[in-house]
Amino acid sequence: MAKRISYSNILRTLFAWLIALLLFFPLLFLIITAFKTELQAIAVPSIWSFTPTFENFSEVQDRSDYANYAINSIITSSASTLLGLLMAVPAAYSMAFAPTRRTKDILMWMLSTKMMPAVGALIPIYVIFQSFGMLDTLGALTIIFTLMNLPIMVWMLYSYFKDIPFEIIEAARIDGAGLWEEFRHVLLPIGMGGIASTGLLCFVMAWNEAFWALNLGSANAGTLATMIASYSSPEGLFWAKLSAASLMAIGPIVVFGWFSQKQLVQGMTFGAVK
Amino acid sequence: MAFLHLNKVEKYYGNVHAIKGIDLAIEKGEFIVFVGPSGCGKSTLLRMIAGLEEIDKGSLHLDGKDISQTHPSKRDLAMVFQSYALYPHMTVTENMSFALKLAKESSAVIKQKVNDAAEKLDLTQYLDRTPKELSGGQRQRVAIGRAIVRSPKVFLFDEPLSNLDAALRGQTRVEIAHLHRELEATSIYVTHDQVEAMTLADRVVVMQAGVIEQVGTPMELYDYPANKFVAQFIGMPSMNILPSTLFRDAPYHTTEVGIRPEHFKLIAPDQAQLTGEIEMVEALGNETLTHININDQSQQIIVRQHQRSQLKPGQKVGLQWDTPKLHYFDDQGLVIR
Ligand SMILES: Nc1ncnc2c1ncn2[C@@H]1O[C@H](COP(=O)(O)OP(=O)(O)O)[C@@H](O)[C@H]1O
Ligand SMILES: [Mg+2]
Repeated sequence: MAKRISYSNILRTLFAWLIALLLFFPLLFLIITAFKTELQAIAVPSIWSFTPTFENFSEVQDRSDYANYAINSIITSSASTLLGLLMAVPAAYSMAFAPTRRTKDILMWMLSTKMMPAVGALIPIYVIFQSFGMLDTLGALTIIFTLMNLPIMVWMLYSYFKDIPFEIIEAARIDGAGLWEEFRHVLLPIGMGGIASTGLLCFVMAWNEAFWALNLGSANAGTLATMIASYSSPEGLFWAKLSAASLMAIGPIVVFGWFSQKQLVQGMTFGAVK
Repeated sequence: MAFLHLNKVEKYYGNVHAIKGIDLAIEKGEFIVFVGPSGCGKSTLLRMIAGLEEIDKGSLHLDGKDISQTHPSKRDLAMVFQSYALYPHMTVTENMSFALKLAKESSAVIKQKVNDAAEKLDLTQYLDRTPKELSGGQRQRVAIGRAIVRSPKVFLFDEPLSNLDAALRGQTRVEIAHLHRELEATSIYVTHDQVEAMTLADRVVVMQAGVIEQVGTPMELYDYPANKFVAQFIGMPSMNILPSTLFRDAPYHTTEVGIRPEHFKLIAPDQAQLTGEIEMVEALGNETLTHININDQSQQIIVRQHQRSQLKPGQKVGLQWDTPKLHYFDDQGLVIR
């Protein structure tokens, strides 16, 4: 059967493309700017044809030790994700499978902490880390990223676990499974999709975190997010280098996200076990 | 002490007193059926035996040991759930081996037992499938297979047939009866369907609102119900209940009299002490159920005849009964013997 092409379809497609381009444009501009010289970058109106240069990237690498920032990002993101899962999985498990009358309240309370502006807690947290001598350490960032993501992790895992019929877990108990076996052989494999997508999301959120990273650890423990910021300060703005730094900072996570896309989507739909 | 012994067992859900003190002794090898209307506490009681619900008061002994506080994994019971509750990420083989693996059986023994069970249940060709690749009836059999490979002390079934269509339900019921005869395993089976109860049970436990109304063999319950509830719950169609004023020689204190549909005889109206008008005739081939309005249309009774009937709605008929087959109830609904 021939596909009928209607005007409304064409219009809708064009409209969708327009929106998509509009959303993508800043990123495109960033990518293009990263390959310009500083002069070309500040030219008004924008220059669209130029010979691309890699100068910015090498300069960023020379000026700030990219690898160091990248390693800090990798360490804090992975450690906070693991630590978060270690706490959120048992919490979500007990809330989903052994709820009390207060469980819903606790969940709401956890979510409500995310509604407070982070800056509201900055001073006390700063002082706490200061008195423990932890300012500008990877440990401090890991802890703060974990705490920052914990409510979301518990919520996500809770809703995944809620979808697992409790009778399957009861069946395992009757079959002789203790707590560990029940977790290892039943909850983990069935809930893997949900656990993986929760972990991935929190990894990305920790990677992109800038507020706490800037305030608690910009010199030694700086993550890639703080590297970007360092290009917008004292000596004035350097658009091209800033763009190159941004590209280098978001590059790994975009690639990572691209490859885990399947896992993410699978995780979102895996709940449908009957 | 009996093999499985419940002693004054109670359960509260908040303010709901779901199980109100149950005493029950079950012997080894018995097939016990808990039957009663929906919400009477059958599943709760079964789950308390399994260890899935806490016992708030009373105690539970299995094979001489107090297991009231024992974790389900340590009770050595097997359960077939209404929803089957198969492990969705495991194949049929893995589902059936799971308990044996946890019990650290050798792989040769596991293989042997799983293959035996699969053969008994006609599952051999599905061993490598996952539950979602099976039909409802096949899933049901895997759930039973998962229970029987273990040779547990007691089998627990919670309405295992209620998700099957009528034909498959009848067939699986026969299979379960057959398995029980073969394995001679102590079994507790929960259902709201009195036909399942009557056909499967060695003894039936009739429950209502968290208490046991009567325990007995299917025929004891049918012939000698202890009260009006059991009398009406067991038997299809239900026992007819009539006011005692219609019966001149009823014992003292009788307020109501019960008569099973098959204990009426239809006779000519002019010879009978009770007459009525036919409302409907259900001809089922092997039997005929005649619905009759009596007492000036205020009450309807059902009469069962094992032959075909020429009677038509609107006709007047007379009713006669076997006096020894009457059940007399007092104002509490208890039977008067
Ligand atoms: N988890 C629960 N929370 C509160 N009430 C419950 C719970 N489970 C069962 N009940 C109540 O206990 C009573 C018995 O339920 P149940 O054992 O499921 O009945 P049955 O299996 O005979 O239909 C019902 O009144 C039901 O509402
Ligand atoms: Mg039930």
